Formats: sequence, structure tokens, C-alpha cells
Amino acid sequence: MLGLLDDVRVLELTHSLSGAFCAKLLADQGAQTLKIESPGRGDAARYEPPFLGGTPHPEHSALFLAFNTNKRSVTLDIHTPTGQQLLLRLLSTCDVVIDSFLPGTLEDLGLGYATLQQAHPGVILTSITPFGQTGPYRHYRSNDLIAQAMGGFLYTTGQTQRPPMGTALYQMEIVTARNAVIAVMGALLQQRLSGEGQHLDISMMEAVVSTPPNFIHQYSFTGEVAGRGFGDQTVMDGMHLATSDREVTLTTAGTGGNPMEVWAAFLEEPRLLDAKFSTRQGRAQHWQELLDVLQAKLAHWKAHEFMHAAMAQRLVVGVVQTPEEVVHCPHLEARGTFVTLDHPEVGPLQYAGPGFLADGVNPAAGGQAAPRLGEHNVAVYCDTLGLSQAELAALYAAGVV
Amino acid sequence: MPPLDANGMPLRRDDPAARLVCLGVDSIGYVIESTVDPYDSDGVPHGRLLMAQQPLLQGVRVLSLEQVHVLPWGTAFLADFGAEVIRIESPGHMNDRRSGPFPDRVPGETWWNEGGTFAYWARNKESLCLDVTHPLGKDAFLKLVAKSDIVTDNFRPGTMQRLGLDHASLSAIKPDLITLSCTANGHTGPWRAYGARARTVDAACGLSYLTGYAGEGALRASSNYMDHTGGLNVAYALLLALYQRRKTGRGMRLDLSMYETGVSCIGPALLEAQQGIERPRLGTTHLWQAPHNVYPCQGKDRWIAIAVSTDAAWQGLCTAMGQPAWAMAPGFATVPARWQHRQELDTHLSQWTAQQQPQALMDLLQAHGVPAGAVNTAADLVTDAHLRARGYLEAFTNQNAPSVGPRIYAGRPFRTLPEPPRRLQLVAALGQHNMQVLRDVVGLSEADIQGLLEAGALATQPREATPPNAAAASYQASGRDGAADQHYKEAIRTLAQATAHAVH
Repeated sequence: MLGLLDDVRVLELTHSLSGAFCAKLLADQGAQTLKIESPGRGDAARYEPPFLGGTPHPEHSALFLAFNTNKRSVTLDIHTPTGQQLLLRLLSTCDVVIDSFLPGTLEDLGLGYATLQQAHPGVILTSITPFGQTGPYRHYRSNDLIAQAMGGFLYTTGQTQRPPMGTALYQMEIVTARNAVIAVMGALLQQRLSGEGQHLDISMMEAVVSTPPNFIHQYSFTGEVAGRGFGDQTVMDGMHLATSDREVTLTTAGTGGNPMEVWAAFLEEPRLLDAKFSTRQGRAQHWQELLDVLQAKLAHWKAHEFMHAAMAQRLVVGVVQTPEEVVHCPHLEARGTFVTLDHPEVGPLQYAGPGFLADGVNPAAGGQAAPRLGEHNVAVYCDTLGLSQAELAALYAAGVV
Repeated sequence: MPPLDANGMPLRRDDPAARLVCLGVDSIGYVIESTVDPYDSDGVPHGRLLMAQQPLLQGVRVLSLEQVHVLPWGTAFLADFGAEVIRIESPGHMNDRRSGPFPDRVPGETWWNEGGTFAYWARNKESLCLDVTHPLGKDAFLKLVAKSDIVTDNFRPGTMQRLGLDHASLSAIKPDLITLSCTANGHTGPWRAYGARARTVDAACGLSYLTGYAGEGALRASSNYMDHTGGLNVAYALLLALYQRRKTGRGMRLDLSMYETGVSCIGPALLEAQQGIERPRLGTTHLWQAPHNVYPCQGKDRWIAIAVSTDAAWQGLCTAMGQPAWAMAPGFATVPARWQHRQELDTHLSQWTAQQQPQALMDLLQAHGVPAGAVNTAADLVTDAHLRARGYLEAFTNQNAPSVGPRIYAGRPFRTLPEPPRRLQLVAALGQHNMQVLRDVVGLSEADIQGLLEAGALATQPREATPPNAAAASYQASGRDGAADQHYKEAIRTLAQATAHAVH
């Protein structure tokens, strides 16, 4: 691995996907990341379908495998006094602790920021919660859907005359994690300068509010309440259009301000030059007719061939690719986007890198697949903390690990 | 930013040295029409230097050749952390500054300093309006690079090289320089020359394919989610590079791709695809939880999201509903049974929710331990009690566009201590920092600067001053214009008042 963060130690104490993804972002850059899981059960994501291989199994969940690369796993019951003592010992060597408990829970366990700070003054406690540490909703329960709703994202998704639709695959957890990791990096830079840690308060609702397209200031400048319908009537700019195989989406970008002239020439379709299509408003008003004209042309194309031809003319289009096409994309293969990580239970699979190359290198190359539950108990408790095999056995017997 | 004394402390307004700097801008006689007053009404300087602690990235200088969304969003986080982020703006390309929204959709006389989205993305940054394609402009830029830490761009691959501004050329001037290019597909690979918009990235990366109403076709959820998630990745990559540089003294070349960032958002589906598992489109429903959906409430287009994953939450919901007979049926007694009968369950539940207000219903359900959330609109959020209690929203007056008045912006989604990220403090007027940067940082003579102005390589006004089309500057330039709400001015007023109280 490139290991930009190989001198950073992270303790992941979460049961949330945002916490797990934040820790993954750090771990994928080489941070030594220890995931604390409950004995005998582990992270809830281990039980989320679908399972690779088809049969439910805590080591086979695609969600868990995807969100937990490059981590080590130990089991520990932090609700027991022994567990809490061990946690404080683990913590004393960590720079970053990521937690997702509702406000007050860590304090109730005797593991609040004040206690952690006493054990390790430089510790950066990163609390990622649905609504933050303060405010009237701080104890409210949430999940990705509710975060979409409360943060204003959900209302703007879907078609105008239908209910809100929502987005797929935990994107609110992911943007929350991406915001959190920025805060963590800021705190790390600070800690390396001053030695001081801090308590970061990350609210999922707030991460979501800052995610939709600028709709807060849009409202405050014009009174417009952003609504649904991004894919409605937007034939040239957002709607999915069928080709002979995949769907594509067009844009008016790259047309030098004359979209219909350029598209008419490209598609050899003079009907696109009709004056009623010349403005955005006209295209919305006559969208069905415009759609019919375009679909007749697009039906002769395969989506990827269409994309290459259009892009070669500096038009900007998108193919609605399946995840399978993404995995086999020749461009991503040439970039080395995917790295193969071998997991003892599910075998070698391709995992995506972080989205950037550093000095030409994919930082994720050479990493480790997600850990099995408690895989690193011996390494951590015996080798790092110095417990004897007998002591570890006693902890197992007591259900602490 | 107010002028500084020899120790780096901000000068008070009545200090002769401060007057010199402020007035000097005008007295030199150039067309530097900054209306910014670096002092508040008490003569106290605004700005980051007022904070007790040094900002995290103080002393880090970022030159950003940025346009549109993704890169400006990323560098905004560095500006929030106190880096000196200088937007290098071409007088001929005003896309960001044209994009609005303008008050009630009407661009003002100096529209290029007035747009809301520009304020949001370019917050806390400085503006150097310099044409780097002009030989004199390029020369000045290269001198500035020698005194900078980071250079970012989001041109198509090849452009920076053609201009002689690629990583190799720049790092020859500043060996520990960090550069980041933010492109559609990266600088290598067969698709490298292709352009993108956030929505085409959303399609390419697989997210569009996975998104849609339950059981229906693919329908993209957002017009520019990929700009946001990409921008967040830009900030992370730059902070990683800074972290490494502080450790090793080495610079870095970051080649960030929007496509690949998008791909990194659908990790589980990529693994499933390799084993032939097709993930269904779920809309607001769930693979095994029910009720898990949006439900209608009283009023037009009002909804609540409810997500029940446990028996305890289900019991809470039943109690909140007053234990209706339908809910006691064995078909709803267990998690798998509820999921199996989810359509019937949703029908019953909708009949109950349709009689309630979303906010009150959320409070009731949460009090019973049921995860529930009102489906908020922008209008709901600017008056939301929780966001206001946390001081999340910002009521900010752009001092370079006084006629715009105070407006509300989304805030920073994290709180850090002891040094909080900067709130919205500055929206730079076009070319506002020309003098400060070229004279004080680069060390150009006034004759050199005059030469740049005369050559048209330095400006404080757009080359093309025709105002943007008001309609084109409306929401998202799509068919998606929202409903007008007449209460927004009241919302601005109360938030501005509340913010003023909180400050004093």
C-alpha cells in the first residue's frame, strides 16, 4: 500500500455505516485501523443481505466486505468493566476514535471524551451521529432513508406527480463519512502540530443538508422550493433515453451554446432544428415529441458506441452502466482502479480504489480484505497488550471478547 | 481579510498603516473597485485572525484554477480551515459567477459578485482575475506558484500541459508543490479526453442504474450528487497530501477522477456484480425491513419517512397509533412477516399518517422509539428548530453585493474544537485580491501590474458584461423550477436576527 497515513492509529467503535466508511477511508490510506466488534455477533452490517455465495453468513455480506477493507477486527464487550479497561488500554495508543453512539452513551459507559482525553490527551474523538451532539433531535433515531428525508434530499428525488423516490446504496452514510474524514484530517494536522486532540461532532442530517444542489440558498434568494422531477421532460439534459442496449443520458454541454444545431448535425436529424425545440422551455413543453424524434435515432446505436462517437465530438453524454460493466470497464482497467483483495471466506474479488491516483499510484493496491470477526484478537490482546494466552482464554470464557 | 502588522496581527481601522493599505487600492488609480470593508461598524477587523487560535491551515496557499462545482466545493473546505485559497479567474470565463441564483432571479448591475451559488462554493476564498493564457499572466502565475503550496485545476486533461502548467513544469519551480487535477476520467486511460457532468458520472459509475422506484426502471436521484461526493474527495485527497508533506517534505501529484469517485460510492454492488447478484431497485423500501417507506401526511405533497427494523420499534409504532386492530394481526407480528405483507402494511399505515402533520408525527413516533423523519423541503429546513439550535445555518451578507442583503446558506456539517471551521466570511469580488496577491505576495512592481492591466491579462470586470439570462439562472437550468414560497423573506429576517443575537 502507499500508506500515506501509516503512522496513524484508528479505533473504530461504531455500529453505523457512516462510521465504518469513515474508518475505511482512513484504513485504505494505510491508517492502522482496529474495529471493535461485539463478541459472538459483530457489526450489524455482517447480517445485511445480499450475501456473496447466496447463503447468509457473517463473513459473506457484500456490504460488510465493501465497507471494512484494510481493518483489523477484535471482539470486545465494552458494556463490561473489564471490557472498558481493555478499551482504554487500546485507546492509549490511538490517534483517532470513531464512534456512532447517541449523545451521552459513551459517558454512561464511563468512556466519555473527558475520560478518553485523560487516558490519551491527543485523542481525536470523532462522533458521527444522526443529528449531532446538541439540539432537540439529538436523541432521535435515524437511518439512511430518514437522513435523506430530514436533510431535504428525499423531497427532491423522483418524479413530480409521485412520492419522493430516494437514492440507492446508503449514499447519505457515505457523504457523512466523507465529511467526517475531512474533519478528522483537519484534527490530525492540528494534533501533529500541538499534540492536542479534540472532540469532533458530525451530524448526518447536516451532512445531507449540504449535499443537495444548493437548495438552501436557492430558497433564500428566490423563494423557490426545490421540488422533484429532475428526470421529467428533460430530454436533452437528464432523462434516461433507450438505445439498442443500455440507456444513455444527454447533455447540452460541449455544444458552444447551440445544442440543437450540434445534436442535429451529430445525429443527422434535421427535425431537431425545429424552432419549438430551440429553447430549454420549448424542449420541456414539447418533450414527448422531442423524445420520439431522439429515440428513433438512438435505437440504431449501441450505448457505448454512441458514447465514444459523441465524446469524440466533445459532446458530453453518459451511459447508464450496470455495476458489472463498471467492474469490466476498459478505462478503469487501464487506470488500475480496481485492486484484487483475497478474502479467506469469499476468495479474491475486485475492490475499487479511492477515486484518485497519488503520484500515478492507486493507494489501495496491496491492501487487505475485510477482517473476519475477531480475527486479530490474539495479535492485539496478546502481542500488543501483552496478555497471556490464559488471560485471553479467561476473557473468552467470560464473554468479554 | 484586514491588513496585517509586522507581527501578522490585524491592524485596526484607525491605524494609519491600515488606511494606507485600504486606500492604496484606490489611490494607485487602477480599476480595483472593491467594495469590501475589512472592518465592522466598531472598527474591529473581521476575519479569521480574530480567532484565538491559529487556523489549522494558516500559511497554506492554494491556487485554484476552478470552475463549476466539484473542485470549488473541495477547495472550500481548505478555505474553511484557514488556507489562503486564491481562485485564479479568467476574465473571459464567468460560468461560476453567472450561475445565480440572483435575488428574485434578477441579476444586478455587478451580477458577477452577486450570485448565491458562487457565494456558497467560493466562500472564504480570494480572487485573482488573471488570464494565465496570456504570456504576461502566465509569467505572473508562475512567480506566484513559487510561493504557493497547492495548485488545483479542473480543466480537461492536456490543457494544463498545453499551457505549460502541468505538474512537472510547476514542481520544477516549487519542488514540494502539491497539484491536484480534478477531471471526468483522470489523466490516463482510453476515456481520458472525455468530458463529464455530474449526471453523466452518476450514470457511468453505476449509481443511476441502481436507483429508481421500487421494481421500476433506473431513474437518477440527483442532478449533482457526484459534484458533492467528488468535492468531498478532493478535500480529503488534498489534506492527505498536506499530511504527507508535513511528514516528509515531499509534494504530490493527485489525479482525481469523478468517475472513479462515483465508483467508490457503490462498493457493495460492485462485489455483488462479480458474483452475478443483481441488486433490486428499492426506492424508499428496504431489502428486509417493513414498514420502511415514505407515507403521506396532511397537506399538499407532505410526507414522513418511517423505518422500522426491530420488534421494539414496531411495538412503539403500534402504541403511537393506539394499538389499532389491523396492526395486531399475526401477519405483522414478526420482522419477516411484516416484510412479506409490506404492501398491506403500507396501505394501513398511510391511512393513519395521512391525518397527521409530518413534524408532529415525527416527534410523536420518535418519542416512542420509532425511527421517523419529516420529508423536509428547503423552506422547512431554514426554519428547522434543530438546525437553528445548532447554529448550522448561516445568515450572511455579501459585503461585495450589499444590495443582495442577508441570505441564508447551508453551514458546515461538522464542529471541530478548539478551532472551528470558518463560517462564511468573504465572497470575493472579481479581482478583489489582484493587488494584494501580485504586489504583496509575488512582489510585482506597480509598473508590472499596470502592464498586466493594459494587456488585458488582469481585470476586475468580466470581459463580457452582458447579464446572464434571468430564466437560465434559475434552479438547476432544468425543467425543475420549484414552487414559489412567499414566506422566505420572513425566514431570512428571523434567522438574521437570531444570528445577530447569538453573536452579541
